Amino acid sequence: MSAFLKDLVELPFLQNAVLAGILCSIASGIVGTYVVLRRITYIAAAISHCILGGLGAARYFAVVYELPWLRPIYGAIITALAAALTIGIISLKAKEREDTVISALWAVGMAVGVLFIFKTPGYNEDLMSYLFGNILMVSREDLLLIGILDIIVIILTLVFYNQTMAVCFDEEFARTRGMAVEFYYLLLLCLTAMTVVLTVSVVGIIMVIALLSLPVAIASRFFDRVWKIMAASIGLGVFFTLAGLVISYTPNLPSGAVTIVLAGLTYLATLFMSTMKKPISKNADLQ
Amino acid sequence: MSSDSLVKFTNVSFAYEDGMNILENINLEIEKGEFACIVGPNGGGKTTLLKLMLGLLKPTSGTVEVLGGRPVDRRAHIGYVPQFSRFDASFPVSVLDVVLMGCLQRRFFWGRYSPDQLAMAQQSLADVGLKDQALSGFAELSGGQKQRALIARALMSKPELLLLDEPTASVDVHGTEQFYRMFSEMNERFSIMMVSHDIGFVSTRVKSVICVRKNLQIHPVTELTGEALQKMYGLDVHMIRHDHRCTEKGHVCPHS
Repeated sequence: MSAFLKDLVELPFLQNAVLAGILCSIASGIVGTYVVLRRITYIAAAISHCILGGLGAARYFAVVYELPWLRPIYGAIITALAAALTIGIISLKAKEREDTVISALWAVGMAVGVLFIFKTPGYNEDLMSYLFGNILMVSREDLLLIGILDIIVIILTLVFYNQTMAVCFDEEFARTRGMAVEFYYLLLLCLTAMTVVLTVSVVGIIMVIALLSLPVAIASRFFDRVWKIMAASIGLGVFFTLAGLVISYTPNLPSGAVTIVLAGLTYLATLFMSTMKKPISKNADLQ
Repeated sequence: MSSDSLVKFTNVSFAYEDGMNILENINLEIEKGEFACIVGPNGGGKTTLLKLMLGLLKPTSGTVEVLGGRPVDRRAHIGYVPQFSRFDASFPVSVLDVVLMGCLQRRFFWGRYSPDQLAMAQQSLADVGLKDQALSGFAELSGGQKQRALIARALMSKPELLLLDEPTASVDVHGTEQFYRMFSEMNERFSIMMVSHDIGFVSTRVKSVICVRKNLQIHPVTELTGEALQKMYGLDVHMIRHDHRCTEKGHVCPHS
């Protein structure tokens, strides 16, 4: 801990990591609550795996055609939004085949990513950091982009809070009120896509879904209002990512994995504790 | 058509995408001020009828008019109460939040609900007897209370027509009678149509009973006796007056 604090003052990449952890937790706490309430964790997982395609493609073109401005995260944003809209439109149009399409996108996105990374000249260590995250590699430029996406997510959530809540609670009723249910559903998926991009830089593609849903699962055991669950999830997210960073620092462990193990253990602990206290949310049991 | 028309079905047929006909050639006209109960066998198209009136489904052929216009144009004046059992029982919202969702419309507004809307929500809660539960969690309510909260939510749109889908499905007999008393009071302000699976028990407070049945499939009518009802089940839709005058022959329609 003391070594971490000492380095934190001196090393900019560590400061970037701490900031990235905090920013990412804000978005994932808010959007994760929607994802759990609307039961679209599977869609969120598919979007995050699709991102590998965008990351791989952006990096390939950046290296091969010497486009230094083309950062992998740009590819990630475009792929995530495209995947979210594709899944959203298909699930609105043809409900019965929704899960097949989601699975297909999930796998094809990853396959495309693997091919691009394989064909990219040079050292291919990046694949591991995309899959499992490397918060220590977050640059100033990444941080700026993470901050912008964070602000977009917060503003959209504040503006559409009542509407998105009503649509999550009772879509059919919202439809009878003439609300643009499809618009709010696609909005929610796009928010999810942006949050997933942020979270990938912290815990990587594979573990995104844990950081989206575990804090919410824990928080919904103790709080019974949506905004309280969001606030508590943000707090828990900050705690898990920073604790993961600190614990992993000295023994040089992968911080994303430590973060997720911490979150998982805390969730298990609350499950045991809930024998004392009646669980407030059944959602928590679904994770 | 007359301006007193509440709901008008003209030669309405409806089939789902798999081609199964749910409703065939329905003709029905109901006047304003009605308190009608839609009954019929399971899968007979009761809920489909409701969804056609809400504009959630479009008829395969024929026209549906509600409050003198197309359902989609008139839905601001239609209050809809779904079955509470369809919901995520643990959704983390307060009862007041649920009721306030009734304010939302096509027109977008953002920010907090206005003091007027809050006052109206409190009034709606008082109307359904949930005044003291406004700040409780929706998840903590009993089944009957949840149903009442959803009715309060529907009242937020100042409905001219309240449509309810099996409002007494999980309520005991005593509670059911309380619900009907409440509906009866509300019926002085607006028209009510409700779906009920309960053929055997239709409260005397209900003014009309509408029986819906899809094709010519014959169902044994054990709960109902009387030739009139037997005959009624041979038709697609039928409306009978319910004037507390049931004879041995079944329901008598005094003026038709």
